[in-house]
Amino acid sequence: MVSLDLSKMNSREANLKIRELIQTEGEIEVVGTHSIHNFATGLIGKGKILLHGSTGFYTGGFMEGPTLEVEGNTGWYTGDNMMDGEIIVHMNTGSNAAPSMVGGNLVIKGNSGSRCGFGMKGGNLIVCGNVGRWAGGMTLGGRIVVLGEVGKGLGESMYKGIIHSLDPDLEEKIGGNVTIVPIEDKEKKKLEKLFKKYDIEQGVDDFRSVIPLVSGRHEYVIFKPTHKKVV
Amino acid sequence: MMSKEEKIPKVKDVQRGIWNAETISQVKYMAAMGKHRIRGCGTPRKFPTFDDLLVLPSQLSRMSIDTYREDCDTKTVLGARYAKEPLVIETPVMISGMSYGALSKECKTALAKATDIVGTSICNGEGGLLPEERDNSYKQVVQITPSRMGFSLRNIEAADAIEIICGIGAKPGLSGHLMGCKITKEIAEFRQLPEGIDLHSHPRHGDIFGADDMVLKIKQLRDLTDSKIPIFLKLAAGRVWEDVKIAAKTGVDGIVIDGAEGGTGAAPAVAADNLGIPSMPALVQAVKSLEDMGVREEMSVIISGGVRNGADLAKALALGADAVALGTGVMVAMGCAVCMKCHEGKCAFGIGTQDPERRARLDIEKAAQQVANYIQAMTIEAIILAKAAGKTKLSNLEREDIRSLTLEACAMTGIPLIGSNYTFTDDKFGFFNPSI
Repeated sequence: MVSLDLSKMNSREANLKIRELIQTEGEIEVVGTHSIHNFATGLIGKGKILLHGSTGFYTGGFMEGPTLEVEGNTGWYTGDNMMDGEIIVHMNTGSNAAPSMVGGNLVIKGNSGSRCGFGMKGGNLIVCGNVGRWAGGMTLGGRIVVLGEVGKGLGESMYKGIIHSLDPDLEEKIGGNVTIVPIEDKEKKKLEKLFKKYDIEQGVDDFRSVIPLVSGRHEYVIFKPTHKKVV
Repeated sequence: MMSKEEKIPKVKDVQRGIWNAETISQVKYMAAMGKHRIRGCGTPRKFPTFDDLLVLPSQLSRMSIDTYREDCDTKTVLGARYAKEPLVIETPVMISGMSYGALSKECKTALAKATDIVGTSICNGEGGLLPEERDNSYKQVVQITPSRMGFSLRNIEAADAIEIICGIGAKPGLSGHLMGCKITKEIAEFRQLPEGIDLHSHPRHGDIFGADDMVLKIKQLRDLTDSKIPIFLKLAAGRVWEDVKIAAKTGVDGIVIDGAEGGTGAAPAVAADNLGIPSMPALVQAVKSLEDMGVREEMSVIISGGVRNGADLAKALALGADAVALGTGVMVAMGCAVCMKCHEGKCAFGIGTQDPERRARLDIEKAAQQVANYIQAMTIEAIILAKAAGKTKLSNLEREDIRSLTLEACAMTGIPLIGSNYTFTDDKFGFFNPSI
């Protein structure tokens, strides 16, 4: 495994070097990350990057193929528009993880902020800790799995896709235009496979699933008066 | 005195001021439905237009250029601020972003073919990049919309330019609307949506929360494209002066300003009628903003919304635009009657519909040629005015070449009023002051 020190590189220089090394070396160890933004943008092909430290915003955006493992935290928009491959974050991420993600796996061993999986279209987002508000809003596909607590507005106006949650207060936390259903056996099998792959010690039987209500049109409540007519 | 047998003539009152037929029907709709109304095509409101400006011809103070025998360069280069390969088109008339979904596949294909005939660009709009569009277009602008429906890295790879969209003039601050009647099986699969659902798409970019993040996003896109292709930012006209300053700081190559006259497939009528400002004053503010920052020369300005003909084009260029983008105009060129019912999906001309029977009515080759003819004719009209003003390049049209016909236009644009040469604006922006 070749080692790369980013401490004196900007993101453009770092990405050019990473693109070169992943072709020639296959496995790269990265140090001196100084919370670099836009790390591994559009990185393609096979290979593995082990990053000692934390990254800033837009980690692994548009990435297609490699495995990126971050020992620390990542900032907002981790895995944005990710096409394929996997990102494993051993600590926490900022808000808006996996926005508009197309494919691949984003695994967050800690917590994630608000709006994770917004507009997600494919792939798997697994959060072992808690997530903030509005996770899985307006998803067009993909799978979100949250082992910890979820915030309010979960899955607001999902069009397609599925969210699996262990949160006991799910009924109070889901957003509009979604419903809670028991987890299906085929989904359990998929989760078992994913948990095994990423060393996540968690059973699958207690999950409940949040899916879109597709009834022809979504219902929106725009005017919300507090006054109630006394009959 | 009138005898009892004689009839008293009846006087017919006009409708009582603002309580006209439209208002009354609107109130009745609201009373029955308890919700806002959706309308296609944009607003019917009358806004100030480029008609309120006039081009000054050359006489003794300038030499005119021969309309029919001397050249006037129309080649347009956009996005040269940072992009290694700017967008180069033959005419400063582009086709703006309109989605596959709002428009039929036949319409999108015809528009793309038209760009190849006349040598300009088309933007794909919100609903993904149709292969028929990319295969037939001369230059392809790919929009990055908040919903990212049908969007992936593959779209960026196919792009000659990128347009990040913040808003559109017809419904600024609102998300895309596509009614269920247009979400057929094919459209649903293309956009990853359930079939037949009324779509109220994503209001904000999930990966751009504010201008600071956009700076990083632009860097990411530069990295992704090796800084080859231009990146434009499309803004609905609102707080233009402020928004354009921020846009310039984010590091984009150019801005697209979409005025309130801009069209759409569907929008709440209240939004189309009341949100945003018209194209002409918006363009003035955008140019002023870039001039104030000292970046006018390096950034491209594209104006869209309500541009109809070569006169509009010439005046927009004179006000400081580098190009215009057309939506409604090109649809009219292929048959659209502006019935304002695009949202119902029953377009009789096969343009704003997904119904196979109606779609079949649009002759793609004929429509493409009509659109190309329209863009060509518009360019020729602008050339005629530019040559009369003494210009051998369309891009040489400048504010000094036009005058305001109305006090309103004078106040909005800073272009001197005909006759008095009076301008309302401050000296800093008072580009023409005969007393100096």
